[in-house]
Amino acid sequence: MADDKDVLRDVWFGRIPACFTLSPEEITEREAEPYYLLLPRVSYLTLVTDKVKKHFLKVMKTEDVEEIWFEYEGSPLKWHYPTGVLFDLHASNTALPWNITVHFKNFPEHELLHCASNSVIEAHFMSCIKEADALKHKSQVINDMQKKDHKQLWMGLQNDKFDQFWAMNRKLMEYPTEEGGFRYIPFRIYQTMSERPFIQKLFRPVSPEGNPLTLGDLLKELFPAAICVEDEPKRYQVIIHGIEPLLETPIQWLSEHLSHPDNFLHISVIPAPSD
Amino acid sequence: SINFDKNIWVNFVQNFKVHFFDFEMAGRRVECLWKRHVVEQLKQRDRVQRQAFEEIIHQYNRLLERSDLQAVFSERLQTDKYEQQNRHDLSPGVDGGRCDSLQQEMAQMRIKHQEELTELHKKRGELAQSVIELNNQIQHKDKEIQSNEAKMLEYQQQISHLEGECRELRNSLADLERANQTLKDEYDALQITFNALEEKLRKTTDDNQELVTRWMAEKAQEANKLNAENEKDSRRRQAKLQKELADAAKEPLPIEPDDDIEVLSEDAGKGTGETSPSRQPSRTPSKRTSQPLPPAGLLDSITNIFGRRRSVNSFGTSPETAEAPSMCTEVRVPSTALHIFDAHDGEVNAVRFSPGSRLLATGGMDRRVKLWEVISGHCEPKGALTGSNAGITSIEFDSAGSYLLAASNDFASRIWTVDDFRLRHTLTGHSGKVLSARFLLDNARIVSGSYDRTLKLWDLRSKVCMKTVFAGSSCNDIVCTEQCVMSGHFDKKVRFWDIRSESIVRELELLGRVTSLDLNQDRSELLACSRDDLVKIIDLRSNAVRQTFSAQGFKCGSDFTRVTFSPDGSYVAAGSADGVLYIWNVLTGKLDKTLDKGHSSAINSVSWSPSGAYVASVEKGSKAVLWSDM
Repeated sequence: MADDKDVLRDVWFGRIPACFTLSPEEITEREAEPYYLLLPRVSYLTLVTDKVKKHFLKVMKTEDVEEIWFEYEGSPLKWHYPTGVLFDLHASNTALPWNITVHFKNFPEHELLHCASNSVIEAHFMSCIKEADALKHKSQVINDMQKKDHKQLWMGLQNDKFDQFWAMNRKLMEYPTEEGGFRYIPFRIYQTMSERPFIQKLFRPVSPEGNPLTLGDLLKELFPAAICVEDEPKRYQVIIHGIEPLLETPIQWLSEHLSHPDNFLHISVIPAPSD
Repeated sequence: SINFDKNIWVNFVQNFKVHFFDFEMAGRRVECLWKRHVVEQLKQRDRVQRQAFEEIIHQYNRLLERSDLQAVFSERLQTDKYEQQNRHDLSPGVDGGRCDSLQQEMAQMRIKHQEELTELHKKRGELAQSVIELNNQIQHKDKEIQSNEAKMLEYQQQISHLEGECRELRNSLADLERANQTLKDEYDALQITFNALEEKLRKTTDDNQELVTRWMAEKAQEANKLNAENEKDSRRRQAKLQKELADAAKEPLPIEPDDDIEVLSEDAGKGTGETSPSRQPSRTPSKRTSQPLPPAGLLDSITNIFGRRRSVNSFGTSPETAEAPSMCTEVRVPSTALHIFDAHDGEVNAVRFSPGSRLLATGGMDRRVKLWEVISGHCEPKGALTGSNAGITSIEFDSAGSYLLAASNDFASRIWTVDDFRLRHTLTGHSGKVLSARFLLDNARIVSGSYDRTLKLWDLRSKVCMKTVFAGSSCNDIVCTEQCVMSGHFDKKVRFWDIRSESIVRELELLGRVTSLDLNQDRSELLACSRDDLVKIIDLRSNAVRQTFSAQGFKCGSDFTRVTFSPDGSYVAAGSADGVLYIWNVLTGKLDKTLDKGHSSAINSVSWSPSGAYVASVEKGSKAVLWSDM
């Protein structure tokens, strides 16, 4: 449907305005101006911030430069989450642009993964895709693809090529019609305040009777607190790609259209704004 | 998009019992609702988060870039300026020109910078060009890669195909090897069986040999016993005889007119080689003791046939018209053919003078033995002996000249009485042509040699074959001495048989098939003719070839060409294939005479009369020739 294609495009080309400022702790030769950038929601921080790095390296001495890392309001930003997820989780209802602080030293070993080169990001991205397909198709579709097809997925993401990416990705979004959907839905539910990084469980998109299940059914099972009863004020916001879909939205449709390029449906649950 | 499965809806309907139509619309409406919500929300988000900031960030970044560039330029300008100022500081004098030179310098710098700029533009263009070229190369390489991959696939297919073939070949090879192994095993098994059988055969042959030797030993013992008895018998008889003779000598005897034995005893007194022992009682028995006496039964039967002729002197064999064995007066080498006559219809194989030299017997392929009387150089036909069913191969008279023995191609030997030409005995038993038959010296036994490679010993009293020995080769001719039978064979060998032990005593090998044998008067020399056209004299005492006679034109005409000694053993006569009679001198070893005016075809047999006066020869072409020296 035309609507569905639009949704896919809008999801792919989603952007977040960000303002990168160098941390005051860093030693600079002169003052650095902040760097503004429209971050793609579906990509990864370290993949799209080459210009940022170059901009700030201009004012720094090479001997002071270690690995770059980003932080927002004190919490280091995990580059292996998609940028959109990080924003929805940390700064969803704050003023735009998103102010990110850039660091070059004191890498927080216990909180962040090292990102030595783009191949690390590629490996992480492909592993997410494989995990998603394992849930959806028992890895049959991803294993039938050749190495060049996998490469095409990555290159599509890296070079921001919607058509190149979706030429391959549509295969991963197919399912046998008699099933009614994927075997299991690949999703992750993120929370700001939680010991565990995210919730990920096995969830079928179709009920045993054959009815398609909705987002509400998913939350009811895995995060019942997110569903608000009629009279009570909303306690949580359920955000996917910066929007709050209705709870009646079928989870199968969400997985097909609102997944990230890594084929996972990343759901951020944040406390509702008090105002 | 979700395809609303009608089945699911029907289920839904049945479960909730709601109107199908309404819910379908409601379902569609619900679908529209949440999707529209999502679409609208996304658009809203983009408006807020993207569109509001896009342009500003873009412009900001451009300005940032420009300012960086300016900073770089200004830095460079500053350093240049600084340099310039330094230079000018060093040359303070030119004040007025300072402004001009400064301007000039500025202009120069500008020019330099412009040049740099154009250079950089050029470089940029070149880089863009190389980028395009590299892209082309990449495309080209991609195409190559594709074609290579296609080739690889093809090769892989080929490989799997060849692997399949290889597997098949290996399988068939394994099968062949297995079959080969099976055959080898079978062969080994057969080899073992064969070896076992060979072993068995050897053992059996050994056993056989052992049994044969034991049997021979027993036979020898028997023979010895028999001999001893015979000796006793003969001694007894001799004693009796002596006594009777002594008695008779005291009495005067009536002389009967037709008592030929008187003649016999007269002639016998002259002495020849062949006399029966009992006729000459005055002769020292020592000469003849080794000779067994003729069995009494035969004598009786013979005298019965012809009437009683009791006479001391007739103790030996003497039927009516027994011919007196003529003594050899003088051997004369013939020089001319006295009488050439047709002897038979067809080939004449054998010729023999009677012991008295008066009769000549010839045998031919017409199955007859013809008797001729030799009267003053002519041969007058006397009679024919019939009875044979096939050609005659050899003729012999017994030592008295009363019986004639002929061997025939009808596998039998026959004995006729010479006087009345009646057939007396037929000795059958051979399984092949009988090529030669001889009386043993006691005239009571006959030995015959046959094409069937055996020699048979016949006893005339019982008229049965006493012994058969297997010679191994067809026997062409036989001669006998007291103890020994000598046979000449097709396989070039002359075999010497001991009569008593019936075994081969000796073998002598010649260079060609032995066609004829003859003994000299005292049986000390053996004459042998062989197909290599050589006539040899073998000394029986030393068993060595003493002399060899050959001649340029002399060729053996057949396997049965008969040669002969002269009666005194001083000449050897042999007929050749070209019809020439050759006579050699034994003493000198040289050819004495060649008589070619007589025969027109190959000479088969030669006989020298015991008187020494005549030589008779017969040929393939039915003629017989009587030769003499007159």
